[in-house]
Amino acid sequence: MKIKLLVVAILFLAQQGMAQEWLVPEDQKNIENPSEYNLANVKKGKDLYLLNCKSCHGDAGKNNGLPLVPPPPDVTSDQMQANTEGELFYKITHGRGGMPQFETTLSEDDRWRLVNYIRNYSPDTEALLVEEPPKKAKVLASVNEAERVVEVFAEYQNKDSVYVALAETPITIGAQKAFGILPIGEVLTNNEGRAEYAIPETLIGDEQGMVTLVIDLGEGFITEDVVLDASKVGQPKPTPVLIKEEVLWSTNDNIQTWLLLSYLAAVLGAWGTIGYVVFQIFKISRAGKEE
Amino acid sequence: MMEKTKSPEESRKLLDKITFDLTRSIVKRDELTHFWYFILVMFAAVGLWGWGIQIRDGLGVTGMRDYVSWGMYIANFVFFVAVSLIGFLISSSLQLLKISWSKPISRVAEQIAIAAVALAGIIIVMDMGRPDRFLNVFLHGRFASPIIWDVTVVTTYLTISVLLYYIPLIPDLALLRDRGGDDIPKWKMQVYKILSLGWKGNDKQYKLVAHSMRVLMILILPVGLSIHTVTSWLFAATLRSGWDTTIFGPYFVAGAFVAGAAAVVILMYAYRVRYRLGDYFEELHFDYMGKLLVFVCLVYLYFNINEFWVPAYKMKTAEGIHLRTLFTGSYAPMFWSAQMLGLILPILLMLFPFFRKPLPLTIISVFVLIASWLKRYIIVVPTLEHPFLPVQNVPDYFKHYSPTSIEIMITIFSFMAALLIITVLAKMFPVITIWEYAEEKGIDKEILAEPKK
Repeated sequence: MKIKLLVVAILFLAQQGMAQEWLVPEDQKNIENPSEYNLANVKKGKDLYLLNCKSCHGDAGKNNGLPLVPPPPDVTSDQMQANTEGELFYKITHGRGGMPQFETTLSEDDRWRLVNYIRNYSPDTEALLVEEPPKKAKVLASVNEAERVVEVFAEYQNKDSVYVALAETPITIGAQKAFGILPIGEVLTNNEGRAEYAIPETLIGDEQGMVTLVIDLGEGFITEDVVLDASKVGQPKPTPVLIKEEVLWSTNDNIQTWLLLSYLAAVLGAWGTIGYVVFQIFKISRAGKEE
Repeated sequence: MMEKTKSPEESRKLLDKITFDLTRSIVKRDELTHFWYFILVMFAAVGLWGWGIQIRDGLGVTGMRDYVSWGMYIANFVFFVAVSLIGFLISSSLQLLKISWSKPISRVAEQIAIAAVALAGIIIVMDMGRPDRFLNVFLHGRFASPIIWDVTVVTTYLTISVLLYYIPLIPDLALLRDRGGDDIPKWKMQVYKILSLGWKGNDKQYKLVAHSMRVLMILILPVGLSIHTVTSWLFAATLRSGWDTTIFGPYFVAGAFVAGAAAVVILMYAYRVRYRLGDYFEELHFDYMGKLLVFVCLVYLYFNINEFWVPAYKMKTAEGIHLRTLFTGSYAPMFWSAQMLGLILPILLMLFPFFRKPLPLTIISVFVLIASWLKRYIIVVPTLEHPFLPVQNVPDYFKHYSPTSIEIMITIFSFMAALLIITVLAKMFPVITIWEYAEEKGIDKEILAEPKK
């Protein structure tokens, strides 16, 4: 049943996507992009792309989109770049078949920023988003529990393959939580590649106030995150009372004392008396052997 | 009423007659006995086969689905717990009140109590999808759950019922050991010898028996009340319309006395006819049992009026749906026939002495007992068919329950197995306490202890 439905759905989408060209109304084709083609807009466009488009279209230039029918084209592909800005905007806005519409989820400005991001890979425009290859880097970090400060020192490998201090670079400090890393702050390195981050008073750790800190250089550097295990810099976690107190509908660990005592008293009372009567039966037997 | 002590001559003669009459059930073995055993074992075996299918294929073979997850099994369980409560009423309450006419009936009541409560436990296991995990109830049960209280109280009540059956039986066993006729099979005599614990009938032993019985009779009062009150809490501890009521405890207890008293009348009549015990289960006993049945029926009627009239006056949304289903909806035929034929009409009829004679009273009791069973079904199932959850886009068979043939087979098994327990008890041991009866008739204890000439 499910497989049949899937086949029908795929056929429907394929027929919609492949059978005819995606025609955009003439008056929409040549609308001018109201947002300026600059680095800020392209960067925002990239963020929007990562959030809304990447899951199907994949990373730019890697041709790793989802294997759908029809396949979602790569941003750098000719198929994508053949569109005019107006066409791109129209297609993002209305969607078709497997491609959803973004009219109701993204603002008009944001949709134009996405167009700017796609433009970045056009052969006709100068690429603003220059992606350098990531550099090798080393990060050293330690935590000063008394002063509640994280001290960081970072180096990177320059063109001559020599490690030099990494200056003026943002470093992200996070705290390891049950479901991932919680970013707690950012700090810039100075010219010597050093940075000091003051841990906020309000940071909450585990029951003892222990926090595992994670220091991250971010994209653009090849390095492992520095993980500082269990340092005593946080507030003790307030234990939720609900699962500690005695409640009716819970496990035996949280049973209400009065309930447990009543139950045990009744059971012991009844079975104690039964035991007493069984003892009487033994006495009856013994009384028969007397005389 | 205690009769005057008779002369030794008279006493011996009377005791011989009593022993002869009351061992008839043990000795008697004719074609009807074999046929009866055959019927019981055959139907029980068919039920067990059905259970085998259920274990193999899972609870999907029953009519129970997502909404109605308690069906005929639980209704049947409540019925058996109810019937078992009669041991509490007749063997304890009436004895403690020194109501002497009830003495010969007390072992009959105890037989029913043991059979019914044992089967109640077995039915619960049969209602489980994975009976192999039964021990987890004891190992990992939550003390805050009414289900654990129910398991505890059922096992406790079964133990007390067995003790209350066994202890007054000891002197009888010794009597059979010493005076039993040659027609009693040897293996039965061997059983009597072991179970009578070397009873000699001295004062000390009689005192111990009387003391133990008294302790048990008092102990069974709270335990007996608990067994059916806790069973009612399985329902009343929820928020469901039809169950969410504060009178469920006494309502169930009163209903239990009705079912149990009817069962005792039927069994008394069966013994009276089959084992020719007309001199022991006299018309007087039926008359009193009829009056007792009227009384407990009236109490039950009172609770019924409370149970239905109060919510029917308010007709809160959910309660209203529930009550309409019972009064005029799909359950109306079952509901009204149970109330009319099983409660109102019996009360009216039993007010006349003619209907308290053995045969008419037994026929009425059969109706009362069947209605009691239907009543449990009406308590359990319709409420589950009206969940508070919004019932949308669910298959129709989730919303309506009807038992499958497997469920009916297993339910029939429970009746057959209960009758089998009662039959075996009646075939093994006297159905009336001989020594107590002899004492009533003025036979001296010395004579009881005399060996056979």
